[in-house]
Parts: sequence; C-alpha cells; structure tokens
Amino acid sequence: MNPIGDIYTGAINGLREVWSNKLRSLLSMSGIILGVAALVAMVGIVQGMLDNMRASFERSGGVLKLEVHPSEAPESQQHIAGISPGMTWRDISAIRKAIPLADFVSPVVDMRWERFIANGRREGGLLQGVTPDYANIKKNELINGRFISDYDIEVKSPVIVVGPHIVKELFEGEPNVIGKQVRVKGQVYTIIGQIKPVGRARPGVRNKFNYEARFNYIPATTAMSRYKGNDEINHIEILASNRQTMPDLIEQIENTLIQTHRGILDFEVRTQEEQMAELVKLEKSFTYSLGGIAGISLLVGGIGIMNVMLASVSERIREIGVRKAIGARNYDIFMQFLAEAVVISLLGGLLGLFLSIGLLSMARDLIPGGENISLIPISVMIYGFLFSSLIGLASGVYPALRASRLDPIDALRYD
Amino acid sequence: MISEDRMVKSEKIFELSALRRCYRVGDELVHALAGVDLAISDRDFIAVTGSSGSGKSTLMHMLGFMDSPTSGKMLFEGRDVSAIDREERSRLRATSIGFVFQAFNLLPKLTVLDNVILPLIYSRKSVKNKSILAIKALKRVGMEHRATHTPGQLSGGERQRVAIARSLINEPRLILADEPTGNLDRKNRMSIMDLFTSLMDEGITLVLVTHDDEVATYANRRILMQDGIVIEDSTK
Repeated sequence: MNPIGDIYTGAINGLREVWSNKLRSLLSMSGIILGVAALVAMVGIVQGMLDNMRASFERSGGVLKLEVHPSEAPESQQHIAGISPGMTWRDISAIRKAIPLADFVSPVVDMRWERFIANGRREGGLLQGVTPDYANIKKNELINGRFISDYDIEVKSPVIVVGPHIVKELFEGEPNVIGKQVRVKGQVYTIIGQIKPVGRARPGVRNKFNYEARFNYIPATTAMSRYKGNDEINHIEILASNRQTMPDLIEQIENTLIQTHRGILDFEVRTQEEQMAELVKLEKSFTYSLGGIAGISLLVGGIGIMNVMLASVSERIREIGVRKAIGARNYDIFMQFLAEAVVISLLGGLLGLFLSIGLLSMARDLIPGGENISLIPISVMIYGFLFSSLIGLASGVYPALRASRLDPIDALRYD
Repeated sequence: MISEDRMVKSEKIFELSALRRCYRVGDELVHALAGVDLAISDRDFIAVTGSSGSGKSTLMHMLGFMDSPTSGKMLFEGRDVSAIDREERSRLRATSIGFVFQAFNLLPKLTVLDNVILPLIYSRKSVKNKSILAIKALKRVGMEHRATHTPGQLSGGERQRVAIARSLINEPRLILADEPTGNLDRKNRMSIMDLFTSLMDEGITLVLVTHDDEVATYANRRILMQDGIVIEDSTK
C-alpha cells in the first residue's frame, strides 16, 4: 500500500475528471468559490477596518492616554458645587507641577465645528486650542512646518496647525501652505504646520468621512482669549509614562484636582482601557459572526460538491465495474472519488482566494477608511483554504464510499 | 513464448468440483450453477457455449473472482478460492487474469495508452516505465499507432484489440473473454479470433463465452452448458 502514490494517482484522476467536465466542475465549485471569497473578504474587511480603528486609537494616545472631563458634582455636593471654579488653566499648571507620572499634559479648548475661509473658498472643520504637549499625546505627524510652541502659548500667537482636509479643500494643488493665512470665526491665523494625511493617498478619491483629517489646532491661550474670554478649558488630555503606574497617576490626578476644584468632585478621569477592550470584543464578535455566515455558505458549497459527486458516481457505475474487473480494490475506487472531491474543492478554494483579492481591492477603494484593508490577509486565507479542503474531504467521503461498495458484476451490467 | 515462471506453476489453473451458485430472486431460488465439475489447464483454449440463462456468465464471474460459490470446491493454482480474501482477489484480477468484454469497456476519457496502463496501476507492480510496457502490449495487438487516441476515435475492432492489449499488460496466465466478438462484423470477428489463437500459441490460456458456432470452432476445447451444468466437454 502506498498512500502517497494513491493520493497522487487520485489527484491526477481528479484533475482529469475536472478538466473533462469543465462546466459541471465549475458549477459544483461555485459554492466553494463564493464561500471562500466571502469568508476571506468579509473577515479581511472587518480586520482591516478594526486595524484602522486600532491605528487611530494608537495615534490618539492608546491605552496610556487619560482624559479628564467635567462632570456633575455628586448629590451630596450639589448645594456647594458653585464654589468650584470648574475646569481651568490652573488645573493644567497644578498637574504639571505636582504629577511627574504624567509625561504630557494638554488642555483642549474646543471650538467644535467652524467654517474655514481661504483663497475665496469655504470648508467646515474642527478647531481646538491645545498646547505643545498635545503633539506627543495625539501623535500627529507634520509634513511641513512645526507644531504650536511654548512661545505661541505665552504670547497667544494667531497661528494655526491645519489638518489635511482643510489643506485639500482650501489649498488644492499646493504642497506647502506654511505662511498662508486662513480665517476662522472672524479671526485670521497664519499657518505654521501642516498635518500629514493618514492612510493611502488616493488621487481623485474624496474621503468625506475621514473625521480625523478635519482637526485643526491653535494655541490654547489664543483660543481662550479670542473666543472664551476666560481661562476655562473643555477637557484635559494626559499621556502616562507607563501602564503600570496608571492607577497611581489617576489617584494623583484626582487628589490634585480635588484641591484646585475646592473639594468638589465635578470632574471624571476617563481611561482608554475600556475602549480598547470594546474594540477587541467588537473584533471577536465581527470575526465570528461574519466567519460563521461565510462558513455556512461553505457548507452549502460542500453539499453542492456532494451532490455532484453522487451524480458522478451514478453516471460512472459501469466505469467503476470495469475498474474493479481489471483489479481495482474498493480502496482504489474510494481514493479516486475522494481525490476528485478534494481536487474540486481545492480548485474552488484557490479560485475563491483569487476572487477575494479582487473583492478586498474593491473594498479598499470604496469603503471609507478602508486603506488599512490587506489585499492578502494570510491567516484568513489559510483558514479559508483549509476549511474548503476539509469541506471537500467531508463531502467526498459518502459518494466515494458508495462508489467503492458497488458490486462489480452489477456495475458491469449497468447501462 | 511461455515464461519460465508459468512453466513451474501448476498445470491446472482452475479445478471446480460440484460448484453451485444460487441466487434468490424474490421468493424464488435460482440455481445459476447447479454443480459444475471442470478443470482448466495451461494452454487450454475453451469456448463455453450454451443458451441464455445456462450459467455461462456466472461461470465467468466465478473464474474472474468477482463472485463466490454457494457450495462446492474451487481451486486456483491449487489454492482453495474460498480462503482468498477480497483484497487478494482484486490483486489476482489485476495480475493473473485478463478480462475482455463484449462491449469493450474502455474508459472513454482516457487515451488508448492510459486504458492499457490501468491494470498495471492496480497490480501495484513497481514498474518504472509503464508506458513502455503498454506500448509493448499494444504492439502485440497491432495498435501501437493508436496509443494517443481516445476510444471514441477507434472502430469496434480496434477497440476490442485495445481491450485485449489491456488484458495482456500484466502477462496474465488466463484471459476470460465474454462474447468478445458479439459487437463486431464478420471480418473483425475473424481478425480478433486470429489474435486470440496467436495468444494461445504464445502460451496464454483462454476461456471464451460465445453464442457463435463459427467463433467456437477456433477453440481446442468446447464446453456446452445447460441449466447450470456442463452437459458436454469435448476436445478437438
């Protein structure tokens, strides 16, 4: 007995059968082709989208980032909540002074949605007042110019760091916009920095949904003096030095802010750990549910192969009789039909993988934020291919058994 | 051209005594073979004749290890066939016995060469160049020039020659032919029978089932069957 030889002979016979019944083979493969393509494309797209979310999460500080937001004072402090000055510049100074575990600290003075005007064009964008530390928290890369400096904070410079969206919409075709001016909410700002676009540059494709690209930054002090008229800030962003000391850092921030807020607990410290956990949960649920749906379509494909193989056994009863008469054992016939089923499903799996590359390529171009989608998600492809070969194996066993158990005399008499 | 191996083997290939084969068809018990006594020796050329239902085909199936007797004794080269398992029977079909059918039974999707090679594959002999052996077998029947054709491209006579080449590739001791000329015209019938005669001259034993008296005259031994028993066994 030579199993390798049997498999080889079976595979050659299988390929010969597939080739001589091209249309039938292609139709029987179609379930597997679509199943594998759907499995790889769907899981690949979800993984790409989640990678995009993870990259965006990392760019915004990752799990080391903390945010302090104003909140309502507890019931027991409601009657004295008015003594707290709220979230102000003094909180920033206090944290910087008292907490060395906080590597970077920046206030965010939020102007929200504003209209930006330059070159006679208008475009909406987000405007935030921040400090130099913010460049380390948000990890925005600049392609031209510089970020806001301590000097800008000190003298409340009328300068702005612009995001890729405003550059694209107001200064289209200009690679460097440093020194140019842009008007926001009645104030004129000189552009000092230009943020690098995130993701693949795709000429001619306008990505309306890229939220991150719409952020633009001015010095926090400029924002406070020009728009707020006081030292109030919207929230604080902090980057911890490491994950181990995070609990200590949170405690120190709370202790410090209780002092600056005169004992009133009208703030809350938010971490990104929960968001990260949510992201992982989301990834798992998407992968399993979409993988499950595609798995079901693969099973349907397997049933299709079994159907075709059963039909093939019925068509070839006489051939089976002849083969047995000239010396084929039950095992030889079993291997022949099993190999045919496996060859059909493997070829189907391969074609499905090629189709999935096409689908992923389309998804990259069509889905907003889809630039992180990998064209060849190796692990998913391996799973898809293995699953399809297993399906072929499973769907081929019954027809192959039926063929191998045929009585040679009855088979030879069959018309 | 009798091989040395063949010379040392038992002169008797098959010995059948009181061989019976019964089938149940509905409530009725059919005695396809009702006690056959028969010996087949080396270099016999036997024509088995008889009317339909006389047991000719069942006898051929028994000799080809495709069926088992209900009772009686059957020895192959001195071995009791009832002690030979299914796997060994398959091997014997591939190596010791060649089959030739009325309907040729070539596989239509394979080339002539691949059809001839098949029994060699199933015999599990470790032959390095199977094609050379197949071409040799095709040469014996004068069909080597058609090696790359498919059966659909051949005439009836040519197909039967290829089927005979297929039966010869493993140098079997015995060829069983079930109405091998039944689908052929007279010219091809005679040509195939001449081929069988030359094979017998080369030392191959032949058992041939036929309805055709003219074909039966080629054999040197004639067996007439009726109702599952041999009623006449005559040698020329």
